[in-house]
Amino acid sequence: MKFYKVPGKQMKFDELFRLLNFCKTIQTEGTDPFDLDVKKFLETLKQYHNKWKSLDDLLLDAEAIAELAKIIELQGKWIKDRSSSFYIDPVLLELKLKMLEPQQLATAFFKSWHPIISLDRITPQRLTEGLAYWDALLPLGERIDEFPFPSAVKSTFDIEDLIELNILSKTEFDDSIRAVLNELEVRGRIEYHDFIYGASFETSVKRAYLTSYLVNEGKAELDINPLEEEVFISPSYYTNVNAQAHHTQSRSIPISLSYEDWLQWMQKRNQE
Amino acid sequence: MDAEEESGIRTERKVKKAAQLLFFRRHRTPGVKGWELKKALGDDYVEVIAVLNSVLDTLGMEVKRISEEGGEREGEEKKAERDRFMIVLKSPVIEKASGERIDNIAMLSATLAYIISKQGKVPRKAVEEFLSGKFPKQRVYFAIDRYIKQGYVGEDDKALYIGWRTRAEVDRKALLDLILT
Repeated sequence: MKFYKVPGKQMKFDELFRLLNFCKTIQTEGTDPFDLDVKKFLETLKQYHNKWKSLDDLLLDAEAIAELAKIIELQGKWIKDRSSSFYIDPVLLELKLKMLEPQQLATAFFKSWHPIISLDRITPQRLTEGLAYWDALLPLGERIDEFPFPSAVKSTFDIEDLIELNILSKTEFDDSIRAVLNELEVRGRIEYHDFIYGASFETSVKRAYLTSYLVNEGKAELDINPLEEEVFISPSYYTNVNAQAHHTQSRSIPISLSYEDWLQWMQKRNQE
Repeated sequence: MDAEEESGIRTERKVKKAAQLLFFRRHRTPGVKGWELKKALGDDYVEVIAVLNSVLDTLGMEVKRISEEGGEREGEEKKAERDRFMIVLKSPVIEKASGERIDNIAMLSATLAYIISKQGKVPRKAVEEFLSGKFPKQRVYFAIDRYIKQGYVGEDDKALYIGWRTRAEVDRKALLDLILT
């Protein structure tokens, strides 16, 4: 918006800018175009018509006339719509739509629907074209630029992100880890799944997540027997955890957890 | 073979070709543009379509001509090249002609009725808020995007309007009457 130092002129432009904004609101929001008093708008413009001096004044005058023309066009359309067979009080229709069940709405649609008939069929000619395309296609190794590797995944959240986002507090997280460690110390060396799985699958996943931190920090150890496909977990009694971490080569151990597996474990436990 | 017989065979061939062009999808958007029909059938393609229409009529179908910017058209041969032609069911006698979920159809029905009642154009946000009274917002956003993609609804500067496909497929007056009764 431009600013003018002459007080009278400032007032005049304020009024025009207000009217212009009102015109734009009617167009964007779809409100009743008859809310604008066209006669008064024109009288306002006429009142200042002889006082326009600069190019900016004339441009503003032209913009006001253009916006007014759009509103008059909308008023014409509004009258046309109201007089057409499509006109229904929007409030009444909105109320009716809110009252109807999805099933009833769908039925109304199907009854007024004349779907386009469109079928797909692969013709012999199209197959020949496909084959020619295949033949002309270079091996993937030579077209590797067409399939760039996705950039490094940045969407995963680690514990620091969750703390930063106030989803989890550091104290709360530390307490949860300590509770799992205490339990492990009480139970001693135990089969991993027997330790992880609990009354619900949700808590089991949570325990697996917390336990991974214990192992990662060297507070618990995993003992894997590949032949028997058994995994045992035990608390680490080493005094110097950091030293241990420095001397042992770290590696990732994937252990699968699944809902089906948890259900089987539950059944087995109930039988026992 | 006399000239009349020859002309009859030629017309029959053109009608077959027109039917295949219109029944089978050639692009992602259903229907065939007037200029495509002209290229395939010749300058008299509007007459060929009229013959096809009379054949389809007996099967409860019709060829509809829709302009991209406005409503249905008749005549105005020069503009026909820019228009889209498609075959629609004239009077549906089958109960189901779509594999869409009932929820999606209900939302589409409400969206169209809502837009029509607001003189054909309404801010997208208003439609989203209206639909989210009965469905989760995420599903509403997804559904509206889908209707736009399918051509049932158009979007212009964050406002929704009735799309070309609704103009082709939906009897809007009947839809409103059915909702209100």
